[in-house]
Amino acid sequence: MTTMNIAYPEIIVIATAFIVLVADLFMTERSRAALAPIAALGLLVGIAVTATLTPVTGELLGGRFAMDPVAWWFKIVFMLASLVAVIMSMDTLDGRARVRPRGMGFRGEYYWIMLSSVVGMMLLISARDLVTLFVSLEIATLPLMVLAAWRRDDAKSGEAGLKYVILGALASAFIVYGFSILYGLARSADLNEIARAVATEKSPAFLLAVALVLAGTGFKLTMVPFHMWAADVYQGAPTPVTAYLSVASKAAGLAFAFQILFRLFGDMLPQWGALIALFAAITMTLGNVVAIVQHNIKRFMAFSAISQAGYFLLGFLGDASEGVPAMIFYLLVYVVSNLAVFACIVWFANETGKEQIEDYRGLSLTNPLTALCMMIGLFSLAGIPPLSGFVGKFFLFSIASKAGCHWLVAVAAVNSTISLYYYLRVVRQMYIEPADKEAQPPSPSTSISITVAILTIVVSILGIVPTIYQHIHAATITWLASLQ
Amino acid sequence: MTELLARFAPGLHEWLTLCAVLYAIGLYGLLTRRNAIAILMAVEIMLNAAALNAVVFNRFVTPNEIDGHIMAIFVIVMAAAEIVVGMAIVVSLYRLRASVDVNQMNSMKG
Repeated sequence: MTTMNIAYPEIIVIATAFIVLVADLFMTERSRAALAPIAALGLLVGIAVTATLTPVTGELLGGRFAMDPVAWWFKIVFMLASLVAVIMSMDTLDGRARVRPRGMGFRGEYYWIMLSSVVGMMLLISARDLVTLFVSLEIATLPLMVLAAWRRDDAKSGEAGLKYVILGALASAFIVYGFSILYGLARSADLNEIARAVATEKSPAFLLAVALVLAGTGFKLTMVPFHMWAADVYQGAPTPVTAYLSVASKAAGLAFAFQILFRLFGDMLPQWGALIALFAAITMTLGNVVAIVQHNIKRFMAFSAISQAGYFLLGFLGDASEGVPAMIFYLLVYVVSNLAVFACIVWFANETGKEQIEDYRGLSLTNPLTALCMMIGLFSLAGIPPLSGFVGKFFLFSIASKAGCHWLVAVAAVNSTISLYYYLRVVRQMYIEPADKEAQPPSPSTSISITVAILTIVVSILGIVPTIYQHIHAATITWLASLQ
Repeated sequence: MTELLARFAPGLHEWLTLCAVLYAIGLYGLLTRRNAIAILMAVEIMLNAAALNAVVFNRFVTPNEIDGHIMAIFVIVMAAAEIVVGMAIVVSLYRLRASVDVNQMNSMKG
């Protein structure tokens, strides 16, 4: 069905982005504090419109833009993540932080760029041909590079941005060269037609294209050995941007992997099981082992995010009708848990300007509720029952088990234990180590406290309430039927 | 003369080889250069090789369609956007460090 309303979410977010940019021109520096609420309101309207979207399936522009139930879930996740990121950025950008980071200005442009990236991600999961897919991938990642280098007078931020640009451009070059070969082999730029044309293809050119495209996907998903940008970019970027990057770039990477692995190479995916299992094992092990020795909390979260990417890869093994809902559910869980932890990190950096794990000592004495929320978020990432992280991991592990990769389940279980050790390092600093006597205790912030409270409640109940997983599962079945 | 030229006119193979060579030069430059601007140039070569590839396939495989041309145009636009972002960051880094040598970009360790 071709109805315009399936594009309303994107249109609303684009409109909000430009309203913010233009409004910024006519505002005084003081009244620019209204920009974040405008951006947040636009995203809320976008989420509400997406939630009421009927029919969920449909296509526009000659089939180049399509909406389906899986895209629906991804769009909800993208908009939720950026909504939280906008709220988290407010304190830092509006100057409410006790320790003001230098060079965090230009609020209108900041929210405009953040919203542009959301639009790119939303188009990414709806794209149905190579050109749209590539362009939307770039619209999603280029703004992230700009945001990473946002602090102009901070060399670390610039260095993070430059590393992200160079490696991101390398990934784009891989992807676009692979796409051009695929286009030549399939004589079409339409994803579904390419999938049909290459279903039995075995030529070296095709294998080269597959290798290039998968390497590019690995970059976006921070899959080992394409993970090296993540640590430096996460550490150097401004803290609210790191929070956004950690969830948004991962979600966009997963959306891109869905487009590539299910839509483009869906027929070949079962044959690649051993390779995917190997990459999953390496990714989670390396991420976890390196995270143990980190001292900077942002770098620590980067390696934690890399190991989480390894868990996501488990979902590509075995039966897609179980793997896809498990991955989407875990994405939702990961986004919520990671944002809960990062909201605490952003708040702590705003109040004290510190970002070493040791600096968190005694937080449970000065701010018991925040410490509790951060602990719940970390425990969810580690996968402790009954938090949602456990349920999400359980689904993913059971898929690997059903696919016959019992060794991989063992590796993943050992990795979960290792991850518990390093997440507990942070908890130990907060709960067991004595507080610094001289340091001024950090004071709570309204916007972040509310965000953290809501996220923590969601983290706690997401795994217990079965309706969300049921909805994702039902959505996936219709989606998989449409792929055939 | 024109006959002679037509006889040696490059076909699909030659063009694709040219693209692959360009791509390899770009990749080599990206991995070996130390100057950030040279690295961005190498990226540009890689992206342009991909754009040329799309045009070549369009000309020899589907001459009556324009998908490859569209792809090339968008790749050029995206390459330009990427370079703008990259150069902006290089300029702001140069102001802080008076150097664009990527070997010195190691302030973060873990």
